[in-house]
Amino acid sequence: MKTFFFIFIFSFSLNIFSQDQILDTSLKTLDGETTNLKEVAKNNELIIVSLWATWCVPCKNELDAINDVYDDWKEETNVELIAVSVDDSRTVNRVKPLVNGKAWDYTILLDTNNDLKRALNTTTVPYTLILKNGEIVYRHTGYTPGSEDTLYEELKKHL
Amino acid sequence: MKDYLFLIVSICLFSICSFAQEQQDNEEEDTSTFQEVLNNLTGSFESNAQWYLNDKKTGEFDDEDHVRANSYLRLNYYFLKNFSAGVQVESYVPKSLLNYDRLFDKEIDLAQYYVNYKTEKIDATAGYFYEQYGSGLVLRLWEDTALGLNNSIRGGNVVYRPFDFLEVKGLYGNQRRSLDVSDSDIMAANLEFDFNKALSITTFNELSVGLSYVNRSEQFKSTSEDINRISVPKRVGAYSARINLGYKNLYANAEYVYKEKDVRLNNIRPNSVTYSENKLFDGNALLLNLGYSRRGFGINYTFRRLENMSFFSQREDKNLINNPTQRATLNYIPSLTKQHDYTLANIYLYQSQPGLYLENYESPRVKAGEIGNQIDVFYNIPKGTVLGGKYGTKISANLAYWASLNVKVSDPDGIPFFSSDNLTYTSDFLNFKNKNYTDFNVEVKKKWSKNWSSIFTYINLFYNTDYLVEANGTSVNAWIGVAESTVKFGKGKSLRFEGQHLSTEDDAKNWVGGTVEYFFSSRFGLYFNDSYNYEDSPIVENSKIHFFNVGGSFTKGATRASLNYGRQRGGLICVGGVCRPVSKNSGVTLNLSTSF
Repeated sequence: MKTFFFIFIFSFSLNIFSQDQILDTSLKTLDGETTNLKEVAKNNELIIVSLWATWCVPCKNELDAINDVYDDWKEETNVELIAVSVDDSRTVNRVKPLVNGKAWDYTILLDTNNDLKRALNTTTVPYTLILKNGEIVYRHTGYTPGSEDTLYEELKKHL
Repeated sequence: MKDYLFLIVSICLFSICSFAQEQQDNEEEDTSTFQEVLNNLTGSFESNAQWYLNDKKTGEFDDEDHVRANSYLRLNYYFLKNFSAGVQVESYVPKSLLNYDRLFDKEIDLAQYYVNYKTEKIDATAGYFYEQYGSGLVLRLWEDTALGLNNSIRGGNVVYRPFDFLEVKGLYGNQRRSLDVSDSDIMAANLEFDFNKALSITTFNELSVGLSYVNRSEQFKSTSEDINRISVPKRVGAYSARINLGYKNLYANAEYVYKEKDVRLNNIRPNSVTYSENKLFDGNALLLNLGYSRRGFGINYTFRRLENMSFFSQREDKNLINNPTQRATLNYIPSLTKQHDYTLANIYLYQSQPGLYLENYESPRVKAGEIGNQIDVFYNIPKGTVLGGKYGTKISANLAYWASLNVKVSDPDGIPFFSSDNLTYTSDFLNFKNKNYTDFNVEVKKKWSKNWSSIFTYINLFYNTDYLVEANGTSVNAWIGVAESTVKFGKGKSLRFEGQHLSTEDDAKNWVGGTVEYFFSSRFGLYFNDSYNYEDSPIVENSKIHFFNVGGSFTKGATRASLNYGRQRGGLICVGGVCRPVSKNSGVTLNLSTSF
């Protein structure tokens, strides 16, 4: 225990490692391939990451609402949305048919044992992030009807 | 005094966290060392507090300590490019919340700590860690503060990915059991192999296999004086084999699990655990999943059969009367039914039945496991069609059917039935006749205009009370209808109202319920909901009492606070597929959470 704190205290450094390691957390694609947010986000300057679940009504409402205006958002800001499902094995098999059934156009990733959710210290979903050039610039928890507009306002600040 | 100190520290930390976040948001990069340290520090704080009140309808709160709080502070620090370390401090002041595991019995505790080293190929952790193999049927370590469940392992965990097609994992340690660790050693290994990548196959979207082994080593303490008793193995292992396939729009996966022989619990009684030591029983599980989906349509079918699959790191925790929150469970066996959101849809909820249990109250019974299946369909009626309208209409339906395994029991010692340690059984492989639960539900989501949308839900269910709750020969047939609408007024203002009705001639008969919720902005909202069992029935437990909740929530960035006052229904309360019996209670609840 003592050594542990020793390392902890004397390892202060002048670099930012936290975001790098958090965005490195392993996730799965719908085809079972291992990837991470850094990998998926590398080709795009602006990224919205939304942690959601098939059993979470506000999450689905948020993604439904954004889906209706997603084409406009993409056109105006060139943003890409990555929807990371935190469904565990109880409901994870619902993700693929649900996403297709709802005709969502997002990149979908799976965080089945909530490794990313933990790395981000998320207590509840939906949990929304804006990444600019691979750095987290905005975090938001929860969704209320119409708050996609607030998210869009925030997004435009980072253009 | 210590409790107050912790509360004060918590509140200070809470405000510092929110403040630090503000700072980060507003200021340009600050190069001071302090700022750099802050940049590499992440964490969260969560506190759920309750003030239990006396209530004429639900009775006096006769326990001590009317005000209680469960709080969690997590801190992670990232350093030297590949390292991170962290702690989790938990506090249960002055006691844990009602209906949580009674072993959360410390006011403040350094519950977890870890050091992690991570590169592209290696991810190694010493200290407490979480993990999952396959679908979790052999091993899943996770945390859910709403359930008061944390079954991480303290020890070492290594994940090694030498090639992009191969992943090997291994772990060793002791499983967390509330605020302590269990008296057993867990050793486990896992392998994932991706044929698609290894052989550059392009025919399939996915073709991979997985293998796992989990071993629990626990000294067995005999409770039997029977001269026929046999020796009980110290080590009990479980094996899993899996395959995942994806071809065009089709996909399938299958998993088979075999659990080695172990002793079974004797008749379940509160506060005592004894075993029948003359016979050992093994367990197994089979899970199949098939799906098809294309844009606008998706369908998924799941089959699962479980036999004697409860797997705890301490045998005694199998007695769920003593362990209603399922502490120290090694595997994850959720009920495979739709997770409903509405209050009345959460009264008759199925909980999976994986374990081998003997009940010998009035009518003796062997419970050996479950068999069943469910199917989900999602369809989007396209925009511009008659039914689709201007925005399209989203439909989803789910049908679930679950039964108990059909068993034949033989007891060489004869009468009295089930009193003998020599009892044994055989089970049918595919027999769905002992119906325990069915649920057919349809949900239609319709957007009428830019600012107005509705959801309609119909649920028809059957619930075998006799098997799932207590042997009283009863069951419930019910249907539930829910209609909800949301109207947006712009600038984050919105109104949501919802009406629910549950109709049944059985159990406590009809219920009515509803919710009104108004958001003044995207940050602040108020709500009121009520459930009322209005019909006269022979079951009076929850009858003619308004189970209401009134409250509000405030959200800013990653910080959320909510406060509510209300009355909690008694009975079986289920969260995330795990159910536990709770008593009726009334009070004020405060939830705080923030992350940075």
